[in-house]
Amino acid sequence: MILDAKIPAGPLAEKWDKHKFEMKLVNPANRRKYKIIVVGTGLAGGAAAASLAEQGYNVEAFTYNDSSRRAHSIAAQGGINAAKNYPNDGDSIYRLFYDTIKGGDFRAREANVYRLAQVSNNIIDQCVAQGVPFAREYGGLLDNRSFGGAQVSRTFYARGQTGQQLLLGAYSALCRQVGLGTVKMHTRKELEDIVIINDQCRGIITRDLVSGKIESHSADVVILATGGYGNVFYLSTNALACNVTATYKAYKKGAGFANPCFTQIHPTCIPVAGDHQSKLTLMSESLRNDGRIWVPKSRDDKRPPNQIPEEERDYYLERKYPSFGNLSPRDISSRAAKEACDDGRGVAASGYGVYLDFADAIKRLGKDKIEERYGNLFEMYERITNDDPYTTPMMIYPASHYTMGGIWVDYNLMSTIKGLYVGGEANFSDHGANRLGASALMQGLSDGYFVLPSTIPHYLASNGPFEKVDTSHPEFKKAEGEVQDKMNKIMSIKGTKTPSQLHKELGNVMWEYCGMARNEAGLKKALELIPQIREEFWKNVNVPGESNDLNVALERASRTADFLEFAEVMVYDALERDESCGSHFRTEHQYPDGEAMRNDEEYAHVAVWEHNGVGKKPIRHKEELNYENVKFAVRSYK
Amino acid sequence: MKLTLMIWRQECCKKDGKMEKYFLDNVEEEMSFLEMLDVLNERLILEGKDPIAFDHDCREGICGACSLVINGVPHGHHKGTTTCQLHMRKFKDGDTIYVEPFRNKAFPVIKDLVVDRTAYDRIMNSGGFVSINTGNPKDANSLPISKINADLAMDAAACIGCGACASSCPNGSAMLFVAAKVSQFALLPQGQPERTKRALAMVRTMDEEGFGNCTNMYECEAACPKNISVRFIARLNREYIRARLSEEKKI
Amino acid sequence: MSYLKSSILSKWVMAVTGIVLVGFLIGHTVGNMQLFIGSDTFNTYAAFLQGLGELLWVVRITLIVCVLLHIFTSIKLKLDNYAARPIKYQYKSYLKAKLTSRNMIWTGIMILAFVVYHLLHFTVGTAHPDYYNHYESVVNEKSAVAIDTQGEQIPPTFKTITQDGKTYVIQEEVKSAKTRHNTYKMVVTSFRNPIISICYIIGVILLAFHLTHAIQSAFQTLGLNHPRYFGYITAGSNLLSILIAVCLISIPVSILTGIVGGAI
Repeated sequence: MILDAKIPAGPLAEKWDKHKFEMKLVNPANRRKYKIIVVGTGLAGGAAAASLAEQGYNVEAFTYNDSSRRAHSIAAQGGINAAKNYPNDGDSIYRLFYDTIKGGDFRAREANVYRLAQVSNNIIDQCVAQGVPFAREYGGLLDNRSFGGAQVSRTFYARGQTGQQLLLGAYSALCRQVGLGTVKMHTRKELEDIVIINDQCRGIITRDLVSGKIESHSADVVILATGGYGNVFYLSTNALACNVTATYKAYKKGAGFANPCFTQIHPTCIPVAGDHQSKLTLMSESLRNDGRIWVPKSRDDKRPPNQIPEEERDYYLERKYPSFGNLSPRDISSRAAKEACDDGRGVAASGYGVYLDFADAIKRLGKDKIEERYGNLFEMYERITNDDPYTTPMMIYPASHYTMGGIWVDYNLMSTIKGLYVGGEANFSDHGANRLGASALMQGLSDGYFVLPSTIPHYLASNGPFEKVDTSHPEFKKAEGEVQDKMNKIMSIKGTKTPSQLHKELGNVMWEYCGMARNEAGLKKALELIPQIREEFWKNVNVPGESNDLNVALERASRTADFLEFAEVMVYDALERDESCGSHFRTEHQYPDGEAMRNDEEYAHVAVWEHNGVGKKPIRHKEELNYENVKFAVRSYK
Repeated sequence: MKLTLMIWRQECCKKDGKMEKYFLDNVEEEMSFLEMLDVLNERLILEGKDPIAFDHDCREGICGACSLVINGVPHGHHKGTTTCQLHMRKFKDGDTIYVEPFRNKAFPVIKDLVVDRTAYDRIMNSGGFVSINTGNPKDANSLPISKINADLAMDAAACIGCGACASSCPNGSAMLFVAAKVSQFALLPQGQPERTKRALAMVRTMDEEGFGNCTNMYECEAACPKNISVRFIARLNREYIRARLSEEKKI
Repeated sequence: MSYLKSSILSKWVMAVTGIVLVGFLIGHTVGNMQLFIGSDTFNTYAAFLQGLGELLWVVRITLIVCVLLHIFTSIKLKLDNYAARPIKYQYKSYLKAKLTSRNMIWTGIMILAFVVYHLLHFTVGTAHPDYYNHYESVVNEKSAVAIDTQGEQIPPTFKTITQDGKTYVIQEEVKSAKTRHNTYKMVVTSFRNPIISICYIIGVILLAFHLTHAIQSAFQTLGLNHPRYFGYITAGSNLLSILIAVCLISIPVSILTGIVGGAI
């Protein structure tokens, strides 16, 4: 596997502009002759499909949802970063770049991150022009807030639903193209495989979720914008249907999978309420500005929180990290909560929860002020838990939230398969080992609006015109057959376990051994357990009904089958990355005070995995990360 | 708690279905409504029966995928709540709960409780956008917008496109959805160049899709999980007449 | 009729014709309240309306056009709405839609039936000819002569006039008279029939139900909904509906109880 990042030469700040000029173009009259398939219609996919169609390409977009507006980008609450420096508090493109590199614990590519910071400003302009109703000040200008411990206010937001508003912006641009007939929209179709002909990605195989029909679609370029794989943990803040199938199938067909072990655990989610739990709900990180996090000092303290006296409470974040306290970064806060609960001092019925207490803030600021700041979040919390956070502390626990790892892509966002591009959370490119708050929306839109629409024409101009391929090509037939076989096989087992049960078993293993803290023994244990669950799946899963029907159990089973194979890659990556960095915390590698200890000598690289057969250890490749502009530094939040 | 569920079952692509009765023990108060259905589905799968199909995705009240008419009201009786955020503690032990799909001609049932809501997308395709290409628009702050209007536009933009408005409306009218979209852009300077065209095109598509007519019963506002006000319908009425009176050539 | 293709234009037609009809209704109610002043005033008012000639027909035609458009459009809308939900909910409950707002078409149809009867009763006169056919004669033209009393004593019951020191007695003479419809008597005798009164009261109550939704709904349709004023509009809509109903119902009630009508 050749990993050529194709980073343009020249000074960091000039790379992207220079590259844009040097890239080849396609004559407007020829553009409609090229067909581009976009899988996924979230921020990255929706924006890319709309932008490429605007340029004149023939685009087909696919989503498994009933509408492109439902992609999970919609759920982002907090905001989107941009280096506009409107508040005049010292922000700059370079500072956003630096913060992102540092936040990612020096495991991201400099050139990509710098481009992201550069483009961030265009994103805000673009979204405002589309009519996205960002929050404004009385003077009519855009409002900013600070986020995730950043020292500048650079986050643009639209109430508590920035993700929905940005997605609706991209969706409206896409609607316009659909209305003009330049984009053909395929809804309720799930990608099941990609097709490679003559070493180029030339199409996809989908399953129509209503009719069950396996269909082929050919194209000159395929873009995957299919999101992350957080649902490998079964419980996560991802939407229920989010899955790894598309990226995993690309990996199986030869695309390198980069840093799969980099999965972000968000510290403030509502704890698991019972065995029935289907997903976890995120509470905005902003709550930590005024809430104090604590657990009882004693293990057997089962008193209601209000009856536990002050001196018997352990405000562990304030104790361990006096200067950042309750505002410590996500990975650190999450691990501290896990430690407290593993120590038997957790609260909530399950013992996996910590208090987030607003009593002091209410005393200091008054209930009205707190209501003004967090009213809608408190309401949402009460709806879910039936507890009133004004009178009793909230309970929170970390949950899987975002995956920094993904398909390896070069500077142009092309994977190791020619003609297969990957954008948004599905690629690995910009966040290193840990993502900063309010950066996910930024990256999705940067890829979708600005990067892919610039780099894909270059690919088309350099490689096209392509040999005509239609869906009767034997490769398509072969892939269709494989997908049909998979469905038939799942349908034929008729065992005694539901797909969800098996998915949950996998999730428990992953959370236990490859979750917030990992160690060699645990990871090796996971490598034993995962194949067992996979084996059980193929012997004992039960999917009633027909495969040529809307079959919710079959959808679940098919996705679970891929998670069961992918999980192993993730564990191998966690095992081989024998250091702690960002979200990846190996208990063997920590400073005496419990901080993550990076090993820049040996691991300042991207680990890229090449498929080597199911159940076999994949091959690990490296892309060395060269830092020309920033210097390695230890993250400290004391 | 124990519940009796009356759930609409309809085979894929068939025209007719019927209510079927299910008994469920051990429903916990902490479950969301969809998790309660998950429990039922798990049981059905183990019994080798076809699980109940229903739309859902984010399960945090924002994607708009979940639907269901629960005891005669889309998303259930609890104000400002989507089905996925409705919890079982709102019901009592021994309750009988009726669960039906959204019923509109424009939202044909695909299977069981799953309906096809692409009619809303087609309305959007006809004009729910600002026609600007991706590229180099001017600086975001070069266009000041009054906070009042921006906030009002945001109130309208909160719509999650779930279809509860049309499904709760005794007439099956989609006016609240269209009103929210038209109003959002009508309130913002970015939306002005296409203001006339948008109002005409979106209303026309709405009518063509086979939705009913608004007779101001305001049921949509009460059922809307995002509490979108019927004031936007009044605004749409104004926008539309304004557009009809000022259109210079047939759009 | 191409406006019917647009749901919002149809709604505008409903609102505008509705407003015209409500305007008529207000005038009609205020006019009818003259019944409480007395027979002569009421009959004069009735005769005045009858005497408008072509103008009366302008008003009548306007009203008929509005009624027809209102009915025609509402039926079209109702059929659309019916078609918009081919399979009904097995179990439906309402949060905000009221009995009145959901049943506009039915109250409308019943009001239409009532109005037809009402017109046959009071305007055309064919429904109850016995009650309708009351006439009274009214003086049309008088002449008067002044006769010198020549100093005779005149009883005070005579009209006199004094001029240049002489007293004249005025003698009036009816030169011509004409009969006019005794609308007052028609109303009073009609409403003394309790069945007619009850029908009328039911009709008016249905009308009030229709109006409570209709009036504020017209404002909403015309786009006049503002958070600061819409509360008043709704309250005003209810108040006006009730006021119209109370005024109209007071007529049969006061006739049945003998407050109005007296010795007729």
